[in-house]
Amino acid sequence: MLEIKNLHVEVGGKEILKGIDLQIGAGEVHAIMGPNGSGKSTLSYVLSGREGYEVTQGSITYKGQDALAMSVDERAAAGIFLAFQYPIEIPGVTTMTFLKTALNAQRKARGEEELDAVKFLKLVREKAKPLNVSDEMLKRPLNVGFSGGEKKRAEILQMSILEPWLAILDETDSGLDIDALKVVSEGVNALRSPERSMLVITHYQRLLDYIVPDKVHVLSRGRIVKTGGKDLALELEKSGYAEYGADEAA
Amino acid sequence: MAAVKETVETVGEVEKYKYGFSTEIESEKAPIGLTEDTVRYISAKKNEPEWMLEWRLEAFRRWKNMEEPTWAKVFYPTMDYQNAYYYSAPKQTAGPESLDEVDPKLLETYEKLGIPLEEQKMLAGVAVDAVFDSVSVVTTFKEKLKEAGVIFCPISEAIRDYPDLVKKYLGSVVPVTDNFFATLNSAVFSDGSFVYIPKGVRCPMELSTYFRINEKQTGQFERTLIIAEEGSYVSYLEGCTAPQRDENQLHAAVVELVTMDDAEIKYSTVQNWYPGDENGKGGIYNFVTKRGDCRGKNSKISWTQVETGSAITWKYPSCILRGDNSRGEFYSIAISNTKQQVDSGTKMIHLGKNTSSRIVSKGISAGGSSNTYRGLVSVHKKAENVRNFTQCDSLLIGDKCSAHTVPYIEAKNPTAILEHEATTSKISDEQLFYCMQRGVPEEEAVALIVNGFCRDVLQQLPMEFAVEAQKLVGISLEGSVG
Amino acid sequence: MTDATAQSFIDTFERERASLPGADGWLAARREAAVRELADAGLPHRRLEDWKYTDLRDVLEKAAFTPAPVHQGAVFLSEEDTRNGAALFHAIDRYKIVFVNGRLNRALSDMEDLPEGVVLKPFADVLGEAWTKALIERRFEINWQAQSVSALNMALMADGVALHVEEGVTLDKPVHLIFLAADDGASHMRTLVRLEKQAQATVFETHASAGAAHYFVDLVTEVSLGVGATLNHIKLQDEAEDAVHLATMRAALADEAKLDSFTMIAGGGVSRGQTFVEFEGRAAEAHVNGAYALRGKQHADQFCVVDHAVPECNSHTHFKGVLDDESQGIFQGKVVVRPDAQQTDGRQMTNALLLSRDASINAKPELEIYADDVQCAHGSTIGELDKDALFYLRSRGIDEMTARQLLISAFLDEALDYAPHEEARAELKALVAGWFEAGNLSAEDIL
Repeated sequence: MLEIKNLHVEVGGKEILKGIDLQIGAGEVHAIMGPNGSGKSTLSYVLSGREGYEVTQGSITYKGQDALAMSVDERAAAGIFLAFQYPIEIPGVTTMTFLKTALNAQRKARGEEELDAVKFLKLVREKAKPLNVSDEMLKRPLNVGFSGGEKKRAEILQMSILEPWLAILDETDSGLDIDALKVVSEGVNALRSPERSMLVITHYQRLLDYIVPDKVHVLSRGRIVKTGGKDLALELEKSGYAEYGADEAA
Repeated sequence: MAAVKETVETVGEVEKYKYGFSTEIESEKAPIGLTEDTVRYISAKKNEPEWMLEWRLEAFRRWKNMEEPTWAKVFYPTMDYQNAYYYSAPKQTAGPESLDEVDPKLLETYEKLGIPLEEQKMLAGVAVDAVFDSVSVVTTFKEKLKEAGVIFCPISEAIRDYPDLVKKYLGSVVPVTDNFFATLNSAVFSDGSFVYIPKGVRCPMELSTYFRINEKQTGQFERTLIIAEEGSYVSYLEGCTAPQRDENQLHAAVVELVTMDDAEIKYSTVQNWYPGDENGKGGIYNFVTKRGDCRGKNSKISWTQVETGSAITWKYPSCILRGDNSRGEFYSIAISNTKQQVDSGTKMIHLGKNTSSRIVSKGISAGGSSNTYRGLVSVHKKAENVRNFTQCDSLLIGDKCSAHTVPYIEAKNPTAILEHEATTSKISDEQLFYCMQRGVPEEEAVALIVNGFCRDVLQQLPMEFAVEAQKLVGISLEGSVG
Repeated sequence: MTDATAQSFIDTFERERASLPGADGWLAARREAAVRELADAGLPHRRLEDWKYTDLRDVLEKAAFTPAPVHQGAVFLSEEDTRNGAALFHAIDRYKIVFVNGRLNRALSDMEDLPEGVVLKPFADVLGEAWTKALIERRFEINWQAQSVSALNMALMADGVALHVEEGVTLDKPVHLIFLAADDGASHMRTLVRLEKQAQATVFETHASAGAAHYFVDLVTEVSLGVGATLNHIKLQDEAEDAVHLATMRAALADEAKLDSFTMIAGGGVSRGQTFVEFEGRAAEAHVNGAYALRGKQHADQFCVVDHAVPECNSHTHFKGVLDDESQGIFQGKVVVRPDAQQTDGRQMTNALLLSRDASINAKPELEIYADDVQCAHGSTIGELDKDALFYLRSRGIDEMTARQLLISAFLDEALDYAPHEEARAELKALVAGWFEAGNLSAEDIL
């Protein structure tokens, strides 16, 4: 699914990622953990193609294609989805309109037929229910005035409607209480399948109690310094990131 | 920032104006230039009564001594008023009695513009008056409206058939000497629409006028007069397009609205005159005076405008809130791109007690354009309990354009509560990235975000128009922004 | 075209030119040029957009001011004067420089023991210095119609202050400039303030009457702030009710400089206060705030332009006012963001309360934006006292007068909180509280 080789990334002339190697197979769930400033968010942005993140060395191969040659929206249409740590507010554009525009843009890019209003509405209702996303919320402008929990649920709703092949969850647990975390995790778990891969980026182990990863990587100062099974996360919870060169213990 | 810049560059080249074609049709024109004879020519062509000619001549004499206003934030070379035609009409025998008599080429033109004139093809409930260059070519659904007692006809016809109404109201909202362009219009207006809604009648369908400038070197001066008698209601739509030409053409219209007690007029405009090319060559100079007079108690006038075209827009649809409890509204989207210049806004003149007004203006500047909101909220001494809320938001796309806000707020009565807010923002990189990460291509993302920005105004438009306007927002930004 | 009033000022110039400061130096030519400018343009009138609400030509024509005489003998403040603004800030430890009828009064001034690196003198004494010349000759890039009156001042300025603070020096105490009018007539004054790199100073300015009734104060203040310099400025205008007060402040800010200016208008017949801020260096910050409380036939016009010519600067303007009787308030503000001034943050706000049927307010808050990556906003509210709040207070047993005063004070306090000096702020609040007593609000005033 995804193969990252010796990836070096600069932001504003400063090297943030200093040689990342990572392979995620179809159906696998990988977690990236690390202290603040280790480059976790940079990795999620460079995978999705955000401007201002300059790849100086290395490659990203997604489903056999050179992802770096693709634009943000092309990658999205090809199935890369980023659940944002801080979802962006778009005033005046309702969540419903946004979902429809995004889904049909992706379908169009893939040469599929666009969904009509009736089919679309049915799809949204079906996906929204388990996530506790109300009709009222769908009519509100996207993320505007949403609580932290609502924003994250809206992200997962988008993911379940867009059905990506590679989902990157950037600090999806931040700002969530335990009940909201459960709802969100259930939403994510419902999307796990043998064809779909996930990259879960988190600072805390807590999320991984609910979204159980196949592999855990520790990112520190722009490098993956340790890889292990799900137990590695528990280990980190106890000992903190100190041994990985972070100033603060989690 | 970078992303937006790139969009601006890539799109800068496209700029398509799909209404830019012109129609080859034989026309009849007044001799070039503007003299008393031109005024007489126009009046004679229209078979006007003597009083109308006198009215025009008086306007012309006043106009000769007036100066073009310079206070707006728009710049253009001096106009040569003697090097233009003031009357041009598609050549045809007498006025058409039915669609069969209309030149098929004209019908074809309206077809291309997406305006079906053939009644059977019409959207349910929209009656259309089509004005081609200087004259009204066809008005549909006349009969059905007549049954309801509604008069909807070219104003030239109204002058002949309903002289008392015209005499009573013409120039009563926008006086002949109101301003340079209105006075010019009073002298040379050639056609436009006339609407009269009798007491207690709710107009059974939307009324709509499409204005088309076709002829070269021709000014268009239409005059619209809408009277809503006590307790009546009408929703009126106006659309405008023009061919793509290298020269600048003047469009100086006057619109007058009158509402009596408990009456309401909703006036919506989608203005898409040719804006000129990406270097600012050609395009319409749109100098328009629109004013509504809430003469009666509890009456309401609501202006909604989507301004995407014209090289220069100079336009301030206003409300005189004379009747107690009357209400004025102004909802505006003004999009400027390439070298377009917009100076538009409104005036809310509160004279009556308990009058209220609401202003929502959304200005979007892109390319190398300039976009100014200019507005006045004025509360007179005897106007008790006035309420006004004004929201002016500007969105800048790219760093070569500009956005200005010039509000005047004047209160002479302590019971007024007036609130004004204005903001300036841009499409953030985060917003663009977010949309694109969901698979929405950049241009579409910009259109989506801009439509969101305009939502409060788009919601005010009648359904069919709203959809059209939403697309237009996307298209107008296409050429220059994405 | 020269109007009659402008001509009378030009005649004054012809009579007094030999005795004006700098008559034999470089300034003479500048004055000549200013006189020509005044002759060509005349005094501003209502047809000029920037003077739409204050017809200065008309105002000065009625009064025909010639220069006030040099005051003879002692200066007395009447009981009324002391109750008002003239008595403010005296309890604060400060340097004091007093002008009577537009002339320095050394006996009343206290300019001794200034710290090293600080110059505080009449401007005529330092005309030979480069910094004063630079400030007087300074031209701003945008020449606003509103600035045309500085030609009048240039031609006739007879006295004034020059304050210079050297690099890194912090003035230990505020400098208090007191402008008193003891006799009728005009006074044309100039204040020059230059703070070098990282210098800091606080300046108070009081304008009041000491016996004069019909007078014209014409003051231009030129401020130049070096890199990282900070100027705190509080101006109190409490002129007599027939006085005409015309004051222009122009400030230029270098990188990271900070101007924090607050104006309180409590008195004056016709007043026009103009502030122009020009950012010359990045990351500078300007606060131009104020409050006014008007009554009688007072007419106060505040005009403020902030010109963001360079990136990353912040500006904040907020004026609040209450208007009673037949008074007229005007706020005209403009934030200009020029093409390169990305990352500008420009805010402008004005609120007014109308307390009487005959009072009026005009507001014109403008934005002129030529850059896209900016945050600019303005707002304006006009209204009367909140009836619900009034009712609430009265339902708690507070009488109507007291309730009104409480609400008005609360309204103005929000603006007074901007005054950048704690003790001065407290004194201003007390002055505002006293405004109600002086006004004798009667039951008939209550709507």
